[in-house]
Amino acid sequence: MTPDPIPVRAPSMLECRNCGAGAPLDEHFCGQCERILALGRHGDYFSFLGVPRRLGLDSQELERRFRDLSRKFHPDYFYNASPAERLASLERSSYLNDAYRTLRNRATRIEHLLAIEGLQSATSDQGGAKVPPALLQEVFAFNEELDEIRELREAGGDEAQLRTRLEAAREPIERKREEHERRIEHLSAQWDRQVDAPPADRKASLEALRELLLERKYIDNLLATIERESARGHS
Amino acid sequence: MSKIVGIDLGTTNSLVAYVKNGAPVVIRDGSGDALVPSIVSVGEDGTIFVGREAQRRLLTAPARTVYSVKRFMGRGVDDVREDASLWPFTVSGDDGGVVRIGIGGREFTPPEISAFVLRELKRRAEDHFRDEGEFDFEVDRAVITVPAYFNDAQRTATRDAGKLAGLEVLRIVNEPTAASLAYGLGERNRGTIAVYDLGGGTFDISILKVEDGVFQVLATNGDTRLGGDDVDALVTSRVLAEVAASQAGAAEAEIIQAVRKAVIQAKWDLSDADETQIRVDAMPGLPEGYRRRLTRADLEDLIRPLLERTVEPCRQALSDAGLEPKDIDEVVLVGGSTRIPLVRQMVEALFARTPHSDLNPDEVVALGAAVQADIMVSGRREMLLLDVTPLSLGIETMGGVMSKIILRNSTIPASGREMFTTFADSQTAVDVHVLQGERELVVDCRSLARFKLSGIPPMPAGMPRIEVRFQIDANGILSVSARELRTSVEQTIEVKPSYGLTDQEVERMLIESFEHAETDIEARLLIEARNEAETVIHATEKSLRRPDFAELEAEVFVPGERARIDVALAEARQAMRSADRARIQAAAETLNQATRHLAEVVMNRSVREALAGRNVKDV
Repeated sequence: MTPDPIPVRAPSMLECRNCGAGAPLDEHFCGQCERILALGRHGDYFSFLGVPRRLGLDSQELERRFRDLSRKFHPDYFYNASPAERLASLERSSYLNDAYRTLRNRATRIEHLLAIEGLQSATSDQGGAKVPPALLQEVFAFNEELDEIRELREAGGDEAQLRTRLEAAREPIERKREEHERRIEHLSAQWDRQVDAPPADRKASLEALRELLLERKYIDNLLATIERESARGHS
Repeated sequence: MSKIVGIDLGTTNSLVAYVKNGAPVVIRDGSGDALVPSIVSVGEDGTIFVGREAQRRLLTAPARTVYSVKRFMGRGVDDVREDASLWPFTVSGDDGGVVRIGIGGREFTPPEISAFVLRELKRRAEDHFRDEGEFDFEVDRAVITVPAYFNDAQRTATRDAGKLAGLEVLRIVNEPTAASLAYGLGERNRGTIAVYDLGGGTFDISILKVEDGVFQVLATNGDTRLGGDDVDALVTSRVLAEVAASQAGAAEAEIIQAVRKAVIQAKWDLSDADETQIRVDAMPGLPEGYRRRLTRADLEDLIRPLLERTVEPCRQALSDAGLEPKDIDEVVLVGGSTRIPLVRQMVEALFARTPHSDLNPDEVVALGAAVQADIMVSGRREMLLLDVTPLSLGIETMGGVMSKIILRNSTIPASGREMFTTFADSQTAVDVHVLQGERELVVDCRSLARFKLSGIPPMPAGMPRIEVRFQIDANGILSVSARELRTSVEQTIEVKPSYGLTDQEVERMLIESFEHAETDIEARLLIEARNEAETVIHATEKSLRRPDFAELEAEVFVPGERARIDVALAEARQAMRSADRARIQAAAETLNQATRHLAEVVMNRSVREALAGRNVKDV
């Protein structure tokens, strides 16, 4: 139903639809006639927001940029403008909201970085389905335990006892998640320091981040399964 | 330049406001009343009554009168059938189609009924601007508020109502957010605010972060079928059950409305008092009338489960915002139902904070709408509202599963894309079903629209790449566009709204409303005549009730004066029951003439009484 999108190459310049002047891709308003520029096919949330392409973003700075740009683009201020400008305001505001939402959260921020650095997404349908090799052992043990808990529950086993077992099964996975958090943080900082490093090193960091995100997604799914199972016990 | 206003189109009451010299003010009628009851009644001759007059008719002609129409906006007949028992009007419609409301032998869609209320507000505002000596007093643009938790269909229905009333709707704004704008005018410039808005028919909770003039909604939640109406319906049903048991009276629409009115009065009383009485006077079908003591504790026991339904949405909104109750700096109460003491207690317990209600909870939303209207026309950028979409938007995928494209609590405007392709060779069209909701399965979500992507160039199966773009605008309303990426052919989309009116239907209704315009002017004149007559009748009755009336009559009345007054008063009362404007006006004039002498005498006495007992030097 939903095939992969065709990659679209972004043009390097925008053209003002009002006066025809050219403008750099990251400009929001025409330098000549000062009208709001049509969005075009922008692809980089970092440059759109005017923040450095880093994983360790200053969240207050990000929020300030978001507020400043909202004040510039919001459709409330273009109600009397031409249809073309109204559309540009709507598209820029939507894009800004997407950009801010994506960069505010660390996992989606990494995802976006992977995408604009030309790596395959860690959340596409292929990811998350098969067990990441690093987690095989934990997943195997967990699934066995979960099967047993479910069987016992069907047979009318003691609810309090089952809950204790479920909690016990959750613990190693929670620990794994915390460990992942630390590793993601570490790798993110490493990538940020590699501004002038050889491309191969930078790519290696990103590949490692991508692996971690895949595993993390799997871990989150396991935790969600536990949540559901324990909710079932309560009802 | 023509005028622009902010409108709170409420379940129970509606208001209109505008910004005057930099500050928002609510527009009141001659008697200082800001509220226009959101009630519409069709007269025996087809005239339309709105507001107080329609409210009066709720007791005398319930089958011709509709209230709480907001609960029907953007809904299908299946959604509302279950609450239908107390309504005096009929509710019908095709399965899966728009609700139709039958009153007085005519059928209306909810946007048409709401348009009557909006027209009344528009007229009130225009009268006001004319009285202020404005050269161009026409009101043709408005910001209209809706509950934050309204879905796309309900918002679109509200916008259609505006169109039908001859208003360009500049913006649909969420009620709790509008309220925060009105509050934000003060000195409070930053912080995290929770707005708890319990109105006549809907409940919203919004969590906002305010900084540097930007009001950013972090999360919102609510229930569009929970409000004061439900409290009234619950208590009314109890009373009706008692009435039926003791007096065997059939639950006629007139009795239901009389009981409902008494119940509402008792509810209001209990916001201040600990105890009151539900009182219904004897009437046909209810020969003994009805009296019952009701304490605040009784009422609270009865309605607690209803009000507790507001707690979970509050928790969810907090959790979606990633906050704990302790992170909230201020809690603001909005909506008439927050006058209920139990509501205040619950909110206070939930957020561990005394809630604010410095501004009138009935008026604060309209004030905020006026502020937003002013922002849009003035171009001033000190304040900006960034709202969110309350519900996730998605499409139906294989197996009846909802696939989310724009998540709830995304800041709007928001957009999303989805790629489609074909299953068969040379297939030229694809069907898409758009949904709103949080549940996994399509059947548990709200169907917004179905559309067909057509005009796809014939290609082998799976080859076309159709990009469908979903755009939610700053009103929270969806639009859809699509194009085939290989050929860049823009696709035609015919959207069939699931619970809304098509553009053609709105057009047709607009034309019909012009045809009815003459009747509407007649209705307006009739209402004015009634109001004038009522003033004279009341003044006369008041004079007749004076303790010194007998003395006056004996001392100053000329022969036959009393009889003339009695006859004129009886005729005026009789005329009020008709819809004959000429007769009402004539009767009012006759009564006015008959009581002129009496009025003078009474006036002189009052002045003497006021002066008596005072020293000359005080005068």
